[in-house]
Amino acid sequence: MAIRHRSVAVALPTSARPTRWPSVRTRESLGGMALLAPTLLLLLGLVLYPFCYAIWLAFSDKTVGSPGQYVGLRNFIYVLSWPQFSAAVTNTIVFTVCAVAIKFVLGMAVALVLNQRIRARNFFRAFLLLPWVMPAFVVYLVWRWLYDPLAGLINYALLDIGVIASPIAFLSDRSTAMGSVVVAHAWRNFPFYAISFLAGMQTISQELYDSAQVDGASRIRQFRHITLPGLYHIIGVVLLLTTIQTANAFEPIYLLTGGGPSDATMVYTMLVYVMGIMNLRLGEAAAVSTLFLPLLVGLVLGVTMLLQKKANA
Amino acid sequence: MHESLSIRVTTYALLAIFVFLVAVPLFWMVATALKSNKDLYEDFSYLPTRPTLQHFVRVITREDLLTNIRNSFVVATTTTAVTVVVSAFAAFSIVRYRYWGREWVGRLILFKYLLPTAMLFIPLYTIVVAMGLGNTLKSLMLTYLSFTVPFCTWMLMGYFRSIPPELEEHAMVDGCSKIGALFRILFPLSAPGIVASAIFSFTLAWNEFLLALVFTSDHTTMTIPIKLSMMVVGDQYIWGQLMAGAVLASVPIAILYFLAQRFVVQGLAAGAVKG
Repeated sequence: MAIRHRSVAVALPTSARPTRWPSVRTRESLGGMALLAPTLLLLLGLVLYPFCYAIWLAFSDKTVGSPGQYVGLRNFIYVLSWPQFSAAVTNTIVFTVCAVAIKFVLGMAVALVLNQRIRARNFFRAFLLLPWVMPAFVVYLVWRWLYDPLAGLINYALLDIGVIASPIAFLSDRSTAMGSVVVAHAWRNFPFYAISFLAGMQTISQELYDSAQVDGASRIRQFRHITLPGLYHIIGVVLLLTTIQTANAFEPIYLLTGGGPSDATMVYTMLVYVMGIMNLRLGEAAAVSTLFLPLLVGLVLGVTMLLQKKANA
Repeated sequence: MHESLSIRVTTYALLAIFVFLVAVPLFWMVATALKSNKDLYEDFSYLPTRPTLQHFVRVITREDLLTNIRNSFVVATTTTAVTVVVSAFAAFSIVRYRYWGREWVGRLILFKYLLPTAMLFIPLYTIVVAMGLGNTLKSLMLTYLSFTVPFCTWMLMGYFRSIPPELEEHAMVDGCSKIGALFRILFPLSAPGIVASAIFSFTLAWNEFLLALVFTSDHTTMTIPIKLSMMVVGDQYIWGQLMAGAVLASVPIAILYFLAQRFVVQGLAAGAVKG
C-alpha cells in the first residue's frame, strides 16, 4: 500500500507535465522566432518580395513613375527577337566558361605550389591572395589603365621588347575585348580557388603521399589518385559557386568595356542594366533576367544540395 | 634526389611567375599614383623618376574625394553594425532553438547568399524610388543588408555549430537564461567568427558597385567606387588621379585584412567553404 501511495506521489508531477511542458516549448519557439524576426523581415522585404516583383515586372509594361499593366508575354517576345539578347546569351556563356577554366587551372597551380615546403610560405600565401582582397572596382580600373592603347603599361612593354609593332586597342577591338575582360576577371578571382583548394589539400593525410612514395608513384600519379579525389567535394562547391558569380559578373564588363565594342562583351547583367536603368524599360529588363532565372536556380539548388550534404555528413 | 631537385626548381619558378603576375598591376597602380603627368604621358618610364603626391592632393581638392570616402565609410559601418547584431541573433536562433520552419529559414538564407544582386537590382530600384529613398545613402544602408545579413548569418551558423552546446547548457543549469548564455558563453567563444563576419560585411559594403551605381546619381551621395568610375569617362589625362583614388579606396580594406587575417581565414574555413 505504502509503495502504491508513493508511486502516485511520484506520478503526480508527471501527470502535471503535459500542461507545463508545451508552455516551455512555446516559450522556446517564441524566443527563437523573436531572435530570427529581423532577418526574416529583411529576407521577405528585400529578397522574396523583389524576387516575385521582378517576375511580375517581366509581364508588365511598368515604367518609373507609372503603374504597369499586365501585358502577357509581350516583353519576352520582344526580348527574344532582339539580336542583343542572343549576343548576351553567347557572351555570358563564353565569358563564364573561359573565366572559370582559367581561374580553376591557375588556382590549382597556385595551391599546389603553396602546398609545397617553400620558404616564407605564409608571406607568399598572403601576397598571392592580394588580388582577391583588393576591391573589385579598383582592380578593374587598374586593368583598364594597363590596357590603355596610348599610355598603358602592357602596350608599352610589348612595344619595348619588340613583340608588337603598333599598340593594340585591347578593349575597343572586337577580337581582343572579350579575352582582355576575361583575363582581368581571372586575375582578380583566382585566389579564391587557390585558398579553397589549398585548405582542401591540407586536410589530406600526409601518410597517403608517404605510402605512394614507397610504392614509387610519380608526382603526377599522386596528384591524380590522391590529391584530386581528396578535393572532389571542394572542387564541386567552388565550381558551382563561382559559376553563379561569374555568370552574374557586372563590374568587369561595366568598368572595362561597357558591353562594347558593338556588343562584343555584352553579357546579360550589362544588358539588364542598359535596358532597365539607362533606357528605363523595366519590363524588358526584368524579362531578360527572368529568362536567365531557370539556369541560375538550377545552379543554386546544386550548391545548396552539395553544402547541405556535407553539413549533414 | 634528382626528382626532388627538379620539383623544387619548378616550384620556385612557378612561384616567381605567380608573384610577378600579381605584383605588376599592384605596382603599376601605386607607381602611376606617384608619377607626374609628364612621366605618365610624355617620358615613359617603368619607375616613378620624380615621385610626387600631386595626384593625391588633386583628387582630394578638385574631385572632393573625401566626401565619397566618407559616404562609403558611413554606409559600410552602419551596414556592418546592423548586420552583426541581426545575423548573430538569427544564427543563434537557427542553430540552438527548436521550432517549426527553422530548416526552411536556413535554406532561404543560403539561397539568398547564392542569389546574385544582378537578379534583384531592377525591382530593388523601383522599391527604393517608391519609398522616396532615391539618391540617398539610406537606400544603400537598407539594401546592402539584403546580402550582408544572409552572408554573415550563414557564416556564423557554421561557427556556432562548431562550439559544443554543452557549455551553454551547463550555464543554464547554473541558472543562466538562454539569452544570458548567448551573451556570456557563445559570443565570447565565437569572437573570431564575429570579427570575421564584421570584416566581411564591411568589405562587401565598401566594395559594392551595382546598387550604388543604380541608386545614387549625385556627386555628394556617390560612394567611392561610383565616383571613381565616373571620373574615367571625364578626362583623358585623369589616370594619375584615378590611381591615387584607387590607392585611397584600397587602404581601409588592406588595413582590415592585415589586422585580422587570422580571423578571416578561420571564419571563412568554419562558415563559407566547409558549410
